[in-house]
Formats: sequence, structure tokens, C-alpha cells
Amino acid sequence: MKLKQYISNPPSDKEKLPSVLEELKKEVQGLKIPDGYFDSLSPRIVDRIKKQENRTFIKSIILAFRKPLVWAPVMATLVVAVLLIFMIPAKKASTIPVTDEWTELNMAYDASYAEEVFLAESHSIDKEIESKDINYSEPVSLTGQNGPTTEEIAKYLKEHEFDADLLNEY
Amino acid sequence: MPEYTDDELVLLFRDAAKRHYAFNLLVRKHQEKIYYFVRRMVVDHDDADDVVQNIFIKVWNNLDSFREDSKLFTWLYRIAVNESLSFLKSKQLRSYLSLSSPEAMMVKSLRDDNYFDGTEIQRRLREAIIRLPKKQQLVFNMRYYDNVSYEQMSEILSTSVGALKASYHFAVKKIEDFVTAN
Repeated sequence: MKLKQYISNPPSDKEKLPSVLEELKKEVQGLKIPDGYFDSLSPRIVDRIKKQENRTFIKSIILAFRKPLVWAPVMATLVVAVLLIFMIPAKKASTIPVTDEWTELNMAYDASYAEEVFLAESHSIDKEIESKDINYSEPVSLTGQNGPTTEEIAKYLKEHEFDADLLNEY
Repeated sequence: MPEYTDDELVLLFRDAAKRHYAFNLLVRKHQEKIYYFVRRMVVDHDDADDVVQNIFIKVWNNLDSFREDSKLFTWLYRIAVNESLSFLKSKQLRSYLSLSSPEAMMVKSLRDDNYFDGTEIQRRLREAIIRLPKKQQLVFNMRYYDNVSYEQMSEILSTSVGALKASYHFAVKKIEDFVTAN
């Protein structure tokens, strides 16, 4: 009841305070602060604002990545890259061994051995060639002893009316 | 340091090149009043420091959208009131966990406050104020310490002038009784 009364008939602005409160109002309140507190307050606030702005920037990047339009293509690219690297089988080297197993073993210990072997082999090949009297004009069987001779091939081509240039090769 | 009015500071703040400078001036102009207002509410200096920083960070984030249909200081005070009450509410929730009443915790903070070197009667006055309901505390502090007019207070607290006057009257009565009782 009293509260309603006061709200409808509020005391004037120049309300009178009890003497004890009037006296206390004049005094310093006794609230201490650390030395230089107000001088350092503004720079500390600005520092916090800068940290907040950095966090906001990082957060905005993270939030952008949460959108499917952004992360889906990135993930798809990563998956494809991984598949390309690990799933495609490596090509096997199809080489004919140049040297035999024994030579290879020795090459592992002494590389100069390989060179010697190579020279020795090429020397023996040269000798073989020198000893043989090879007539390059004679017809040579291209496919081995049981295969058709060049004359047979030429005859075949002629019968089947192949191009003259092709005949001249034989 | 040059003296700018609040309106001039707001204009300066809206210039991107001078924003930091304007903000610095604004903080230096109002920091003491805001600090002591908060300190009287939260008692402890370190708590007051945290709350004051939060207030000015909110000012930085929202000054662009300040509509100027009220004075800047009224707007600042409103932020200070909201931040102080939020802080006290969170402290109250923590007090429930420690099984002591919020009031008892505040009184204990007051008694343990290393940044108070007033007289015993000044300490009792602070204790009497802390024991008031929160809104009554706000009204009393703004009127008694800061001489805020009832019209301005009405804008800040969104309460009628009559209700504020009544609230102040009852607060004064309770404090007088407490201070003179023991």
C-alpha cells in the first residue's frame, strides 16, 4: 500500500537525506585502486579488442568451411588426389636383363667388374663376327631355318599384287 | 588531451581512420565514472576491472549502431547496468554451488576487499547497500553517488520516475536503519 502511495505521490526531487548519509556522502568512499590503473585501462581494452578481431577472422574462415558448397569440393579433391597417389599401380620396368645373375652379383661389390665384363663380351662378339664370313647379299631367313625365304615372300607378294615399293624391300 | 563532447566523439569514431583515437578518448572520458559505478555493484576490484573491460568492448562493437536518440552517457550507463547485473547473476549461480547465499558471498567479498581503506562506518554503508535488492541498489547508487536525475534513470532502467523515487526512498530508509542499528 505504501509503495503505491509513493508511486502516485512521489516525494519531490530535493529529497532530504538522513544526516548520517549526508555526512558520508561528503567523505571519500574508501575505494582504492592499483597505481596507474586508469592509465593502463584503455590500452588493455584495445589489446582485447584486437585479439577478439583476430579470433573473429579465424572463426569466419572455419564457418565458411562448414558450408557444404565450400568443404564438399575440397574433400572431393583430396579424396581423388589420395586415390591417384595410392591406388594407381606403378608400371613395372620391362627391361631385359643386360647382365647375368653372376655378373650382377659381382657388380654389387665392384662396379669396375661390370665394365670388364662388358668389354670382354663385346670383344668376343667382335671376334665371332670377324671369324664368320657373312654375305649380306645372300637371302637370309628372317624367321629362322623353318621360316619362308625372302624369295618366297617376294613371290607371295607379287601373286597377291602388293605394292611395288613393298616388293623392293626384299 | 583535447576535450570533445560525446556527440563529437561518436562522429570521430565513425571515421575509420580515427576510430581508435576516438575510442581511446571516450574510454578516458568515462572510465572513472563507469568503474566506480561497477565497483559499487560488484565490490571486488578485479571483478570490476573485468566488467568494465567488457562494457567498453561492447561499446566498441556497438557504437556504430548507436542511434543518438538518447545521450551517449545514458547508453553507456545502460550497458554498465546490464553487464553488472549479468555478472552478479553468474556469481549468484556459482554461490548456489558453494552452498552459501549470494548476499553472504558479497558481504564476505566486502570484508576481504584489499582495495578498501575507508572507515568502519563507510564499510557498513557498503554492506547496507549490498543487502538491498539489485534494482534498488542500482537506483540508490546512481542517485546517491552519481546524482543521476530520475528522468535519466527512467531511460536507463526503463522504469517510471515515480517507481524510481519510491525505490530510492525505501532504499535510504533501509540503509539508515542498518548503519545506525549496530
